[in-house]
Amino acid sequence: MSPEPIVRLEGIHKWFGTLHVLRGVDLEVLPKEVLVVIGPSGSGKSTLLRTINMLEEPTEGKVWFEEKELTDVRTNLDEARTHIGMVFQSFNLFPHMTAVRNITVALERVLKLSDGEAQERARRELRHVGLEHKADEYPSRLSGGQQQRVAIARALAMRPQVMLFDEVTSALDPELIQEVLDVMKALAEEGMTMVVVTHEMGFAREVGTRLIFIDGGMILEEGKPRTVFKDPKEDRTKQFLARIL
Amino acid sequence: MDVAEEGRRQRLAAWARKGVEVPSAAGTLVAGALALGLVILGPLAVITAHGFIPYERIVDGIFSGATLTVVMAGIAAGAGAAAVGFAIFGRMPTKRAREQTIAGAVLGIQAAILGSVFLVFRTAGDPERFAFHFLNFEKLEGYGGAFVNGAKNTIFLAFIGEAGGVILGLILAILVLSKRRVVRAPARTYINFFRGTPLIWQLSVFYFGLALGFRLPLSTFQTAMLVFALNTGAYAAEVFRAGIQSIERGQMEAARSLGMSYLQSMRFAIVPQAVRRVIPPLMNEFVILIKDTSLIIVLGLAESEFDLFTLARTGYAETFNATFFVAAAVGYLVVTLPLIRLVNMVERRLRSGLVSVV
Repeated sequence: MSPEPIVRLEGIHKWFGTLHVLRGVDLEVLPKEVLVVIGPSGSGKSTLLRTINMLEEPTEGKVWFEEKELTDVRTNLDEARTHIGMVFQSFNLFPHMTAVRNITVALERVLKLSDGEAQERARRELRHVGLEHKADEYPSRLSGGQQQRVAIARALAMRPQVMLFDEVTSALDPELIQEVLDVMKALAEEGMTMVVVTHEMGFAREVGTRLIFIDGGMILEEGKPRTVFKDPKEDRTKQFLARIL
Repeated sequence: MDVAEEGRRQRLAAWARKGVEVPSAAGTLVAGALALGLVILGPLAVITAHGFIPYERIVDGIFSGATLTVVMAGIAAGAGAAAVGFAIFGRMPTKRAREQTIAGAVLGIQAAILGSVFLVFRTAGDPERFAFHFLNFEKLEGYGGAFVNGAKNTIFLAFIGEAGGVILGLILAILVLSKRRVVRAPARTYINFFRGTPLIWQLSVFYFGLALGFRLPLSTFQTAMLVFALNTGAYAAEVFRAGIQSIERGQMEAARSLGMSYLQSMRFAIVPQAVRRVIPPLMNEFVILIKDTSLIIVLGLAESEFDLFTLARTGYAETFNATFFVAAAVGYLVVTLPLIRLVNMVERRLRSGLVSVV
């Protein structure tokens, strides 16, 4: 018997005005899985990721996180989001806070940790991403890669059940991409459940345990990354892979 | 090489280090600056030599031959600098020389215009009457303490109004940004009302409405403080709203994704950033408010509560002399000019990047 999924999406539709971005998506994310989401730009993959923590409310369909239905208005979304870490393309660090403060603010205000506990945990997470020495720097003094690693540490410090990565290397200079991918790879090896929207096909092949290809707001193909890359079944997948590989 | 030629080159190099790359360009600049100096400082110096009190001395200064001479000289120098400057600036070999020539010509034109206006005033105008009404500093005697007190009241009113307005404005801005219409609507109504009616109307009506109608134990001065805060609150709300909306959407999303509530996200992530951005416009509001405090003249105030303008107006009524308004203008400028400088400085620092001002 397969384990209980951490995240379950059921019949998700999303309209932005008259634009039908997601057209009936069903998806389950299992524990310790590294699910890679690929697809052309505008295919709805970011929107799909953002519905998992309800940054985008689906127009139709249901989202479950563990046993909680997030689309039920009675669910406390703030509480649920503490278990779902998210990392963004544009880092979104708080520019008026130091690296360590970026991490402690939610630990103190949301998880109600004491100042000492929060500091300790924040510095441990910074060490985890190799940036303990930058703890007291403001984001503007960090490189893009360093900022993104701080953002990962910030999400990890909440001890989430699942981590969502939304094209986290797309805004980085080429020479800064690897340091972020290395952190993500280490995280996967530690057994973190991850959903990764990415254009990094090397990472997808090497680290991903399962891959879905999205186009036109629907999941067109699904399988082991190596299998899909080597032998895509759908024409659209073939065309997409031919263009980027 | 020729020794004389070598000496000339060395002299030119020494001048160039001092900014004189082309002598004719530097000369034009000096002539233009000199012309403007003559036209402005010349009459001032002559008048100062004659004295300011009583006002007849100023009139004597204006009509003295020395004044006429310096102004005429200034106009001549200015016209000369302008003529030469515009004739030669196109041929200047370096950027610096070209700019010097143009600056000299422009200064010359300014000198010629100012000097001519002064000459017209001196011949066709009535300096006697002008000085009697506006430069009659004798009449201010005995009002010095009142002016200091007036300036104090002006600053006090503006400060209380701004402080109250900023707090009120932040609350209103957060209400007006709510996604719920029932929350937005009252705040929007408030803002539109206070932005849509004249401050002078609010001052007039609120005293009667609040102090008399609601039986609140407010003096006219206290009512004025309250109205300035209520009014500034509406304007500050719009400033804060724009500031909050200027923060990238990702900041709110990052905060929410960490489990912060909407209000926590506002408090810890959005508002601190927005506040930094709105400091310059809020300071501008403060400068505006300093001047708008003059509207409390419509309320009956005790003498100790007079602001600068009410005091000037009262002095004018008592002496039938407008020098009081000149003094009030000086009082306002003493307060506002440093503030305006400060705003510009803060704006530059904020624009130049990361520095935190707070």
